[in-house]
Amino acid sequence: MTSGLGSLVQAQWNDPVEAVEQCYALGWTDGLPVVPPTIERVEEFLAVGNRPADEVIGELPERRREVTVGKVAANAVMAGCKPEYFPVVLGTAEAMLDPAFNLIGPSSSLGGAGILVIVNGPVVPALGVNSRNNLFGPGNRANSTIGRAVRLILMNTCAAIPGLFDRTILGHPGKFSYCIAENEGGTHWTPHHVERGFKREDSAVTVFACEGPRQVRASNTPETMLYSTADTISNLGTSMASVGSVGDTSEVLRQGEVAVVFAGTSDVWEDWTKDDIRRYLHPRLKRSMADLKRGGALEGEISDGDEDEYLQLILSPDDIMIVFAGGAESSHMAVIPSWGPKVSSTSVTRRVQWPRPSPDCLNRPSTIPETTKRSTT
Amino acid sequence: MTKNGAYELVDPTTQPLVASFSVAPRLLDIRGKRIGLIDDSKTNAKELLEDLASILEDRFETSVAMYHRKPSASKPADPQVVEQLAKECDGAIVAVGD
Repeated sequence: MTSGLGSLVQAQWNDPVEAVEQCYALGWTDGLPVVPPTIERVEEFLAVGNRPADEVIGELPERRREVTVGKVAANAVMAGCKPEYFPVVLGTAEAMLDPAFNLIGPSSSLGGAGILVIVNGPVVPALGVNSRNNLFGPGNRANSTIGRAVRLILMNTCAAIPGLFDRTILGHPGKFSYCIAENEGGTHWTPHHVERGFKREDSAVTVFACEGPRQVRASNTPETMLYSTADTISNLGTSMASVGSVGDTSEVLRQGEVAVVFAGTSDVWEDWTKDDIRRYLHPRLKRSMADLKRGGALEGEISDGDEDEYLQLILSPDDIMIVFAGGAESSHMAVIPSWGPKVSSTSVTRRVQWPRPSPDCLNRPSTIPETTKRSTT
Repeated sequence: MTKNGAYELVDPTTQPLVASFSVAPRLLDIRGKRIGLIDDSKTNAKELLEDLASILEDRFETSVAMYHRKPSASKPADPQVVEQLAKECDGAIVAVGD
């Protein structure tokens, strides 16, 4: 028996429905059925992770919680992950617990953040993480369960329980599961993790506390698509177009980040790099003082000059994350504003231990995308 | 799994660690005390603190020894600030605005 797993719960059931119901009764679920975290199943995950169960990967001092490898494994089991997904879940948990991410904020705030996980590198095809059609939708086991593991980890190990420490007003469906991969093979663009200093052959996860994705339909030319994208990012009513909760108000607005996902075919963008896109978008991510006052983001009467004075919504082009992913049929974009200002939570990218450290575990990688099977056989 | 459908489950939850601090003794009387103010940086926190400080000064002759505005409502006050508060103030008031 693996040591360091913490407390064990004795359970008894005679059929699978009873097993699921017991996990509900224990208060461990996100509202959906979970896989019971039996000690045998958790140990399978730990064997893949090849790290001690009682190793502390991070802490949440405000709630006096420590998160261990074993607890992450138990929640990954419950989410329905396969054992080989565990290094990605572990890397994601470590990224969330990085002080720059400031997990206490997005896991408690009334703003209702989801935590988007962006997976890059060789682990994507190896585990069959979906980077194509239905990117934010259902149907793929790796995306659905890795994203779900994030929420279970938050609820069970970080006490981010709705109504207790999670004080979300609305939230969005991404709070159930919110995991995508970049389609690195489908584009000439530099992969997201490489832009953040990792090697192309590294695998990495990025966590981003954010609102839901807003789809942008605009075709024709790169310029028209980007113009529409800039317009969508610059909507009133997002966290980026608001004020407050920051000590330094010299920039007036909160200065968060934004992620933009580009679907379609890469040839549309053959003359554009990710940096070219940032240079196009950045100066257009703004709103007039007059509009910000009309929308209530700023107080006061509209005065002379307010129609022509613009405030920047994103401070630096580097605060625009660009990911190539989604179906190839049409050039749609998804705009994802950050939950809050960067000073409250900054997106974090962490390397995933892949290939997995234990040679024994390298014999069983799944190379076939694990789509939902309709058959029970 | 053991016989008769009995299983051992790994508890996926954590419990809070024992606090590494103890609560300071409460002030029994605030008359003439030095007060520290912590603004959580949300809307109206500053206004609330300023009004409160003024009322306390009028009624209890308190003084404001320190004012700290947090860099983010989502972050705790800097430990150095907390240490300084402990040295320079008899008590502190935190305002959570919105």
